[in-house]
Amino acid sequence: MKKILAVLLAGMMAVTAFAGCGGQTTESSGSSSGSGESESTAIEVKDSIVDESVFGDENNISLKVWAPDKAVALVKQQVEDFKAAYPGKTFTKIEVVAQGEGDAGTQLLNDASVAADVFSFASDQLNKLVDAKVIADVAFKDYVTQENAPETITAATIKDTLYAYPETNDNGYYLVYDNTVVNEEQAKTLEGILEACRAAGKKFIFNCGDGFYGCTFAFTGGVKIDGFEEDGVTQKFTDYDEAEAVATLQAFSKLMHDYKGTFTSLDVAQIASGFSTGTLGAGVDGSWNTVADQDALKDKFGAAKLPTINVNGTDKQLISMFGYKYIGVNASSQFPAAAQILALYLSGEKCQEQRAEQLGWGPSNKAVQEKPVVADSPVLQAIKQQSENACVQVNIAATLWSPMGNLGNKLIAEQTNPDDAEFFKKLLKETIENIRDEG
Amino acid sequence: MIKSYKLRRHLSNALIYIILAVLGIIWVSPFAYLLMHSFRAESTITVPYLIPHEWTFQNYIDLFNVGSGGSAAINFPRWFINTLVVAIFSCIISTISVLAVSYTFSRLRFKARKKLMNVGMILGMFPGFMTMIAIYYLLKAMNLNQNLVALVICYSCGAGLGFQISKGYFDTIPHALDEAATIDGATKNQIFWRIILPMSKPIIVYTVLTSFIGPWCDFILAKIIMGDKRELYTVAIGLQSMISPEFINEYYKQFLAGSVLVAVPITLLFLKMQKYYVEGVTAGGVKG
Repeated sequence: MKKILAVLLAGMMAVTAFAGCGGQTTESSGSSSGSGESESTAIEVKDSIVDESVFGDENNISLKVWAPDKAVALVKQQVEDFKAAYPGKTFTKIEVVAQGEGDAGTQLLNDASVAADVFSFASDQLNKLVDAKVIADVAFKDYVTQENAPETITAATIKDTLYAYPETNDNGYYLVYDNTVVNEEQAKTLEGILEACRAAGKKFIFNCGDGFYGCTFAFTGGVKIDGFEEDGVTQKFTDYDEAEAVATLQAFSKLMHDYKGTFTSLDVAQIASGFSTGTLGAGVDGSWNTVADQDALKDKFGAAKLPTINVNGTDKQLISMFGYKYIGVNASSQFPAAAQILALYLSGEKCQEQRAEQLGWGPSNKAVQEKPVVADSPVLQAIKQQSENACVQVNIAATLWSPMGNLGNKLIAEQTNPDDAEFFKKLLKETIENIRDEG
Repeated sequence: MIKSYKLRRHLSNALIYIILAVLGIIWVSPFAYLLMHSFRAESTITVPYLIPHEWTFQNYIDLFNVGSGGSAAINFPRWFINTLVVAIFSCIISTISVLAVSYTFSRLRFKARKKLMNVGMILGMFPGFMTMIAIYYLLKAMNLNQNLVALVICYSCGAGLGFQISKGYFDTIPHALDEAATIDGATKNQIFWRIILPMSKPIIVYTVLTSFIGPWCDFILAKIIMGDKRELYTVAIGLQSMISPEFINEYYKQFLAGSVLVAVPITLLFLKMQKYYVEGVTAGGVKG
């Protein structure tokens, strides 16, 4: 009797749990197709503003926008400009809520119906948002394609559908240094940086154990990813020269061991802190930490693309992971047309320029990229140069990060012998197998 | 072999104290670190040494000065009040419900008593977060998501299932008292309030403490229910958001200060009720 009861109760709970999930999926996929139909792609857009007829019969509009905390004040002001641009429409409420871009996708997947109508997110989340059908496709595809850098459009296009409005072209990492420790010439090579840091008794931070940064080692060695296999989940790699990749890994490992105590693998959050206490000479830091680093270093702030590493006599450029940020529209929005028009406005030239000026974000808009605010910023230039030597963070399997982080950890591990080529050969093979989940 | 009893005793005591002292230091060191660094003035995130070089109260002042770190989205005082309110209400409701359920199972005899107790036990075996998705959608259907009332409901409504310890305690109170009261004309309800409860201070204190602490520590459920509604966060989610990559550079030291402050209400309550607490746990455990 007791057992039957237990099974019954457990069953009931499981069913309720699934019922909850099921309800959500149907609801959002239903409205996604709805919003797709209501828009056509051939709409005339001028300066990111459309004719009020595009709103259709939507009025008394109420929307929620997610923006990263640092941008909230600016986005609020941009929303006011947006309202002013459409005087014929009544906006009941446009709320701007702080929500980090890294987390936006997860929050949206938790429950799309209470999430924002218009949200900023990082490119790596696009696949899962599209798979879950919670993101609506872009209504003004032609205009957006023509305004923004082609790589940002390609990365947001899945099976010929553009799913998001490009917002930035800067989501990556670059070299930050204290220019009293490392000079511009030394910053060009990893060897130069490490030598300068050691001479000054300071540290160099590179977060080897995190796959986002750790993948640099394999990529620099010539390993390249090429989307997914046909199953849509297994990461596809192009053929690479194993001898070269192994030699590169060895070169990295050798530097880490030669400069033990100088080359440290710590979280990037430690970089700004290290600069302010004066214990750090240089570090590889994300673009989102730029302001903190600048505050810590003030006049001593230096920025450059990632350095080169000498592998058997040739200098090889470090290849990084690089992504974009987008503005997406929630497929279950109550006001699909208004949400699309707002996303178009926020991703437009004027808004991108304001963000570049006030927040230091690298724009994806072609016109803004040419403007002095970008051309004269050493940070944005460093990021731009690095983006030319980078793997685009799109179509990345969830299984990529841990094995890449493990690879980085192994390279710097004390017991690793940098001269043992066999070890690195095996390590690389295992890493790729683990990423492809064949192990 | 050491002959002297005294020497032997001293030696063994010394050894025991050394082991205990080492364990004590290991156990206390994270708290000591937290406390010291919440008063640290220099640097922004972590520093490679243990004792801060400069001391200040600024982190605590900043914590209550909303927007001082550059973001209006970090509002510790508000989160603190939210948590306190939720904790007080769920503490009152769950204490009453736990005690009432325990009294019922301990004193009343009815047909499904044994079976209901078993159901209670079995339900208690499942981890709380298993039903979280279901709870979320049920609350949403009642339009209660992103609401503090929802948290009070979640924390207190299942509380009655935790009746075992207090039922064990009530079982130790002699039935003769109930019988005497019944002869004097008391109803079951009167017996509960007038006879049993005044004799059960330890177990009441224990129930109050455990149900008060819950909301301060719970993270998963609160996070799911609140979503992006930052002004309704509890301290647990709020503090975690302070060390997310977006905020860590500006808020790390305030996070340390906040973590220290979270301990204050719990510690105060604990100190006030401590003498009953130990009694309650042991008394309830004797006869389960």
